[in-house]
Amino acid sequence: MPGLIKVRPTKIELVKLKRRLTLAQRVQKIVKDRLSILTMEFLQTARDTVEAKRKLLDESSQLYKALSIAAGYHGYIAMEKELIATEADLKVTAGSRNIAGVRIPSFELMDNGKPMRGYNLVDTSSWLDRAAQLSEECLRAIVELAELQRNFELLAMEINRTKRITNALEYIIIPGLQATINYLNMKFEERDREEKARLKRVKVLVARG
Amino acid sequence: MPRSLQDEMKQSPYERMLQECVRGELRIVNAGLPKSQERLSNLLNEKYPHVVCHDGSTHFFKKSELEYLASMLDTDEQKALPLPMLIELGANQAEAAIICEGKVEEKIISKALSMPVTCEQRRIRIYKPQLALLRRKLKTTTVYVFSPKTVA
Repeated sequence: MPGLIKVRPTKIELVKLKRRLTLAQRVQKIVKDRLSILTMEFLQTARDTVEAKRKLLDESSQLYKALSIAAGYHGYIAMEKELIATEADLKVTAGSRNIAGVRIPSFELMDNGKPMRGYNLVDTSSWLDRAAQLSEECLRAIVELAELQRNFELLAMEINRTKRITNALEYIIIPGLQATINYLNMKFEERDREEKARLKRVKVLVARG
Repeated sequence: MPRSLQDEMKQSPYERMLQECVRGELRIVNAGLPKSQERLSNLLNEKYPHVVCHDGSTHFFKKSELEYLASMLDTDEQKALPLPMLIELGANQAEAAIICEGKVEEKIISKALSMPVTCEQRRIRIYKPQLALLRRKLKTTTVYVFSPKTVA
């Protein structure tokens, strides 16, 4: 049961309360719109996160298989010798974007700009090429997953906050205002009835006297 | 004293708080709007493609997404496409409108959604499920706009 707001029972207060109710309903509309968009984005991010995780696991398992085969083919020492030359710095572009008022990070793995991977193509087999290609895909998947998981957390936090505002408006502020408006309306009707009864009584007294 | 100022003074703290709440919410949801849109052709040439937002922050575009858009358009169309595309949320919660300047946006949206769309009064109207699909493909090249006119 929503609590009544303590106000003086006057017509001016009633007008003020009605104005407050319109405003509160307007806020509620904006917040609800925002909540629906955030929820939509959250569900989409959740789906993408699951997909990215699955993709990363698949690619990792394929990578380890390819790497084992390459190691078996070349031998660990020969492979390590070749792979030393492939070491390169990773470049990740980090920015941010805004979804309905939530600032979320955005990561993208940049190409290092080298057309070759760095190891000797004559001394190595296609198994190593395959392992290198899979490891690049794995890295891309890791960066994508990092972005998605952070987005997921931030959107969830914002949804919680927005939900609290919506609930406060829906279950406390707006019902409280409506109940107070109803109470004031009833009070004014009661006053009108009392006034009418008093006038009738006065009329009778005047007629008698 | 002007009439609007007198009305403002008459407002109770409670009303002012609610009014501020409306303004605050609109400010929060529209903080990510870009100050100005950039053409796709310009963004493709930038090392770190981005636009500056109203709150002073930056909105980054993913190169992969820009390349996806560029693959759908020819050079003239790339010069005509302003980014990020603005998605206006309507009073009717079931649909949204993409604000468009010309035929380029129409082409992009119809290709991304794999269905024909038409531009009416500089708006392309789409439904919520299509909006989710569009946002999935164009995450950084689209932004939401909450208009006080449409939400009121």
